[in-house]
Amino acid sequence: MTFLELTEGPLWYAAATIFVVGVVWQIVGIVLLGRKPDRSVPRGSALAGAVKANVLHLWPHGGFFNKTGFHLVAGYIFHIGLFVLVLFAAPHIVFIQDHITGFGWGALPRWGFVLAAEAAFCGLILLWARRIGDPVIRLLSTQDDLAGLWLTFIVMLTGCLALGESIEFLRALHMLTVDIWLIYFPFSRLMHGFTFVFSRGYMGATFGRRGVTP
Amino acid sequence: MFMKSCFSKPLLSFLGSLLVVAGLAWAAMAVDVVFSGDALAQTRGAVPGNVQGSANDSDMWRRLRRGEGFVISDPRTGTVVAIQSSGEEWRAFRNGPLSTYGGWLLAVSALAIGAFYVLMGRLNIDGGPTGRWLPRFTNAERVIHWYVAATFIMLAVSGLTILFGKQVLMPLIGQKAFSVVASAFLQGHNLFGPLFIVGIVAMFIIYLKDNFLKAADIKWLMMGGLFSKSHPPSWKFNFGEKAWFWLAVITGAILSVSGIILDFPSLLGERSQLQLALLFHAGAAVIVIAAAIAHIYLGTIGVEGALEGMTAGRVDENWAKQHHDLWAEEVMAEQATTEDGPAHPPANAGPQPAPGE
Repeated sequence: MTFLELTEGPLWYAAATIFVVGVVWQIVGIVLLGRKPDRSVPRGSALAGAVKANVLHLWPHGGFFNKTGFHLVAGYIFHIGLFVLVLFAAPHIVFIQDHITGFGWGALPRWGFVLAAEAAFCGLILLWARRIGDPVIRLLSTQDDLAGLWLTFIVMLTGCLALGESIEFLRALHMLTVDIWLIYFPFSRLMHGFTFVFSRGYMGATFGRRGVTP
Repeated sequence: MFMKSCFSKPLLSFLGSLLVVAGLAWAAMAVDVVFSGDALAQTRGAVPGNVQGSANDSDMWRRLRRGEGFVISDPRTGTVVAIQSSGEEWRAFRNGPLSTYGGWLLAVSALAIGAFYVLMGRLNIDGGPTGRWLPRFTNAERVIHWYVAATFIMLAVSGLTILFGKQVLMPLIGQKAFSVVASAFLQGHNLFGPLFIVGIVAMFIIYLKDNFLKAADIKWLMMGGLFSKSHPPSWKFNFGEKAWFWLAVITGAILSVSGIILDFPSLLGERSQLQLALLFHAGAAVIVIAAAIAHIYLGTIGVEGALEGMTAGRVDENWAKQHHDLWAEEVMAEQATTEDGPAHPPANAGPQPAPGE
């Protein structure tokens, strides 16, 4: 078995299993935590508040943009770039078709792929620079935050180094880092990719029940 | 009588036979020429078949060197130039003087920094830290600095590997491993290049206002700058820092333009321009990396308290007075007009250090 066969075979299936089981386990755990019974008379719908919070907080409102503008823009640049990269890069689509879905879809042209990668890297480096350059964010950052950030960066970097698509070792190296990232994901701050819905929803439900727009 | 004595009968017979054979051969050639008159007219006496066999080798190589067109056997290359001589010269320059002197420049820079450390030691804060802070760099200044630093380091490492890898890395790790590293770093280098361009433009805009030359900068230089025993006057940036800024901007511009040309070769299309772009690119890169070694040293271990300016956005009051007295006076005067005074950290300077930190 070659290094590539290992990382795209047994290791990939093990990592994907840990990822799925881990994420479900975490989410179920959060949901089962529940919340304290609220005996007050509701002035509004908690569910509507949860939905509103998730939608409205996609963009800062009021006077908060000055404070969160940089984080927001860099965050969107990174996440949109990353999702486009993961879902619409030709090699990724082929991999997803072969290993997950059994079907594929239209890929971006190479220039679009590269542009998405540039955006993702730009956003991630800006977020890292803010994390180490802003004393408050640095103080709030934990090892877990930094590990998740660096691991994501390394996955993207190894993918970028394999862009030539001509050397098997580089592809295998990229796959190895992807496998590690998937295993790390459920047990780290990377879970924010799923939990942000719940945290915003919880806050929105609390406000919504009080009749306040979150 | 003389003839009879010199030529015996057998010898005359032999010579006669030779004359007959030569005559027959001449006749045969004459017949061939008569019947192949067209070929003679087309080749003008050269060997038919459009080969170079009848030409002098030196002449042929000279023509190749001049880039003259030839009929070539592989039309897929899209050119009739058999040898691109300027490419050979470019390669010789790239692997010769450029690599050699570039390598020496980097080595000299590193050695100079080592010598500076040995001679001057770490430049400590005179009188020690006061625990009072002055705001030095805003969040935007710090973020863009670290963004440029991150992309620069990735480009420098990958670029140096591409430039010197064959001489330095390949003997250590072997051809096969080096081909993997070189391929990977080339892809990385091409991808990170545009990110650096965005950063260097933003850095230029953000830092420009404090980097114009002032009279105090000349005085700083005349007094010996970093080597001075006293404290030469300086605004927010001293002459050395301003020189670094402009060097980074100028080389950054060269790297950006040449890098775009190399990333998108179809923009120019001329091979010679690409070769020139690569030489400018590598030359500017080596110069700015050599200077960056000094910048990194002085910004981290070389000068006590300097790094905090770029990590926390603040510097100790004594550090500011020692290295940037004119700027420190200006900032302290501004703070004196507020009711908090300089003993309190500015709003954007972050949290105070814990006791004993």
